Amino acid sequence: MSSVIDCKHARLQIGGEPQVLSAEVAQHIATCAACSKFRDETLAMEGRLKSALELPLHHFRESPLKVAPRRFALAASIVLALLVGGGAWLFRPQPVLAAEIVEHIRHESGSWGSREPVPPELLDAVLAKAGVRYNPRLPVTYASPCPFRGHIVPHLVVQTDHGPVTVMLLSHEKVKSEGKFTEGQYHGVVFPAGSGSIAVLAPSGQPFDDALEQVKEGAL
Amino acid sequence: MNPRPRGTTATSAFARLLETLRPDLVRFAFWLARDRAVAEDVVQETLIRAWKSREEIKDPAATRPWLLTIVRREHARLYERKRLPTVDLAEVEALGDPALVSGEVSDGEAGLDDLRRAILKLADEYREPLVMQVLGGLTTSEIAEQLGLTQPAVLTRLFRARNKLREIYGLAPAEDAE
Repeated sequence: MSSVIDCKHARLQIGGEPQVLSAEVAQHIATCAACSKFRDETLAMEGRLKSALELPLHHFRESPLKVAPRRFALAASIVLALLVGGGAWLFRPQPVLAAEIVEHIRHESGSWGSREPVPPELLDAVLAKAGVRYNPRLPVTYASPCPFRGHIVPHLVVQTDHGPVTVMLLSHEKVKSEGKFTEGQYHGVVFPAGSGSIAVLAPSGQPFDDALEQVKEGAL
Repeated sequence: MNPRPRGTTATSAFARLLETLRPDLVRFAFWLARDRAVAEDVVQETLIRAWKSREEIKDPAATRPWLLTIVRREHARLYERKRLPTVDLAEVEALGDPALVSGEVSDGEAGLDDLRRAILKLADEYREPLVMQVLGGLTTSEIAEQLGLTQPAVLTRLFRARNKLREIYGLAPAEDAE
């Protein structure tokens, strides 16, 4: 029985797809010792090739943080000091900032609909993309890196006992003190945290203060 | 830390799948970029995009090739966006990357580290389909579709890639198909 392909084409098939043995290649190597040897060598190399490509990952980041993160931990004492000493409630956040936060939330209003916690890998990726570190200790059901005022900021939805609230980590927005605002159908607050600030928003129909308290406690 | 996803919903299943596949996504991105930091950035972007588009996946078996496609696109986008310099084959910094060092004791045969360095030196047009096939598990037909090539062209590239790697094992390269 004569082969239907020559050595050159048999080796092309073997070198291109070593794991596939077509009928015509099988027929060829049955009568060609050199190509049969070539296939044996290629298959032997294939195992090593797979091992080589499967890099050990211990040199890679387990948590994909790429820049020195800004921490968003809320120290209760600091917040309390700001509340008492700074007369926080007398200050309103810059109206423009509040309006822009609300406008951003309006565009992602569907974010409150999810109840499934996002995977830790995704939350890590979103925080890392913005170069921030944040530990809400509450289920996060939405996490997106969003462009906001020229920076990428983590836009999260955190599930509290009082309903979902949006948390935006504004590492580039400094505010002097905590200030609440109401814009349209939303209640919100922006308060200093780390070297930036955190904005928390919720629909006006749900108990905001209790939810806010839980967010702050969760971040401790 | 965000509580681990619970339940048996499709979303939780997808989250677990992402967790399972992430190591291979990192490896795949590394072999594309030949740079560990870039690979990590690419996978970050991939996870974010995949999560946003998870409704597109109806068949869990299709998730792996779908994610590899996103990795490829994000890798390309990163280079377009940041205008990262192309890597000179003669000056591949990743050659000295500790991720390539297996600690394997050589028994006289070319070790994994040598093979990894040889893979890194392959030109993109050979390395990419090879990684897609061996690490990604894609067929030549799927690779052809992703790379916008014909299946015979992919076969030729894969053949040439392996042909170049034969040399480090002291094996004679086969005559080129063209």
